Amino acid sequence: MSVTSISDEDFLKFREFFYRKTGILFENSKRYFVDKRLLERMEANDCDTFNTYFMMLRFQASGEELQALVNVMTVNETYFFREDYQFACLVNSMLPELIARRDSYQPLRIWSIPSSSGEEPYGIAIYLLENWPSLVSWDVEIISSDIDTQILYQAQRGHYSQRAVQNLPAHLLNKYFRREGDSYYISQMLRDAVAFTRVNVMEPAEMRLYRGIDVIFCRNLLIYFDDLSRKQAAESFYDALAPGGFICLGHSESMSRISSLFRVRKFPEAIVYQKPWGR
Amino acid sequence: MALKKSLTPTATPVDERRIPRDLAGLLTALNDPNPLVRRWSARDLIQYPTAAAALIEQLDHETDPSVNEVILTTLTHLGDDIAVSGLINCLRSENVWLRNQAIEALKQMPNAIAPLMERLLNDPESDVRIFAVNVLESLRHPHVEDWLIKVIASDAHINVCATAVDLLGEVGSSRACSALHELKARFPNEPFIQFATDLALKRIGTGCH
Repeated sequence: MSVTSISDEDFLKFREFFYRKTGILFENSKRYFVDKRLLERMEANDCDTFNTYFMMLRFQASGEELQALVNVMTVNETYFFREDYQFACLVNSMLPELIARRDSYQPLRIWSIPSSSGEEPYGIAIYLLENWPSLVSWDVEIISSDIDTQILYQAQRGHYSQRAVQNLPAHLLNKYFRREGDSYYISQMLRDAVAFTRVNVMEPAEMRLYRGIDVIFCRNLLIYFDDLSRKQAAESFYDALAPGGFICLGHSESMSRISSLFRVRKFPEAIVYQKPWGR
Repeated sequence: MALKKSLTPTATPVDERRIPRDLAGLLTALNDPNPLVRRWSARDLIQYPTAAAALIEQLDHETDPSVNEVILTTLTHLGDDIAVSGLINCLRSENVWLRNQAIEALKQMPNAIAPLMERLLNDPESDVRIFAVNVLESLRHPHVEDWLIKVIASDAHINVCATAVDLLGEVGSSRACSALHELKARFPNEPFIQFATDLALKRIGTGCH
């Protein structure tokens, strides 16, 4: 007989474990969401009791079930201006600090990874054009990478559904997109502004090509890696960053749980991580 | 000035990797005065399974935390006997950061650490035994509960037992019940043990009363 509910004790036990593994803390208000997914995964694995499932989750050598659970517990959708408080942080806090310490007019370099279908890198470009007056004085290079060549092709095409652009105000849609029926095509000017490249974060030979980056956006990617891979990726990002460079993670991710290489910076708009100056 | 398409991903020449990337070249680079060169060396040594001894030796005198961190990651990846015993030695270090990093690294090596766990849990130093229990916290190994039960059944040190009880509350099953009750009886005047054991018994739940 399959179990139909999760007890309070089991929920607390799961919550502590999941927080330790992922940094995601579920409040009691998320109880229904969590219980439903836990029960689904228990059923998928033929586990009659929570304890049986929890022990599998905890001790499975491959970590496969933990990964499956992470996938269902995290909502992975992408759209323009998702978590745009970090873009506000970029223009109000990070870029001003970077240019204040810069002794030449070398271009600022922003790396968005994974690119997915391009909403993030194009979104950064739009945000800078609209909200960063210093763009008249500084060149900015936006590079965006993904391991999936198919998704990179989609990103380069810049073709989006209504859902992907739902957060954009009408004047930005009119300015930067061409509408055809229910589809939106990103402007050629923006397509020309973003360089898309294929990279495997876990491949040091590929990662070491990326250097002198000022700001990395790596949101909701590391959560899908195991602990060791996450640490390796963080170390590669550290070397890709210029001294004083910043890395922005997803709202449920914390670099402090992954690596001690970075400084935590609490800006008014967001918490981000910085490679110390002089390193 | 404006948005500008990057023509190449690399902005700066990778000077710190100018030294040959063979084993001999990388071992030389591991002693370079520039920490950036040492860090790259430690990272590239990941492809040489015999590099563990040199990396362990470097850990002893490396002063740059960013190099140390990469060394630990590479050692975790190599995961051979030399790497594991070097990491275990770090548990005795006075350097708290290094000790904590070693604990984190050992958690990632269940198969390599398992044959050595009994010895670690019987180490004469109680601090090392506590760190060994800390390693168990995230170790993906089917014997974790057995090891913890042994600790609470036999370790004379209250802090070692307290650390193990905390973890048993998460991973324990009804098999741990009698050892938990015996632990309460062994430390009748220690309120924390009484509290932590009751909590573990409650969490284990059914069949543990």
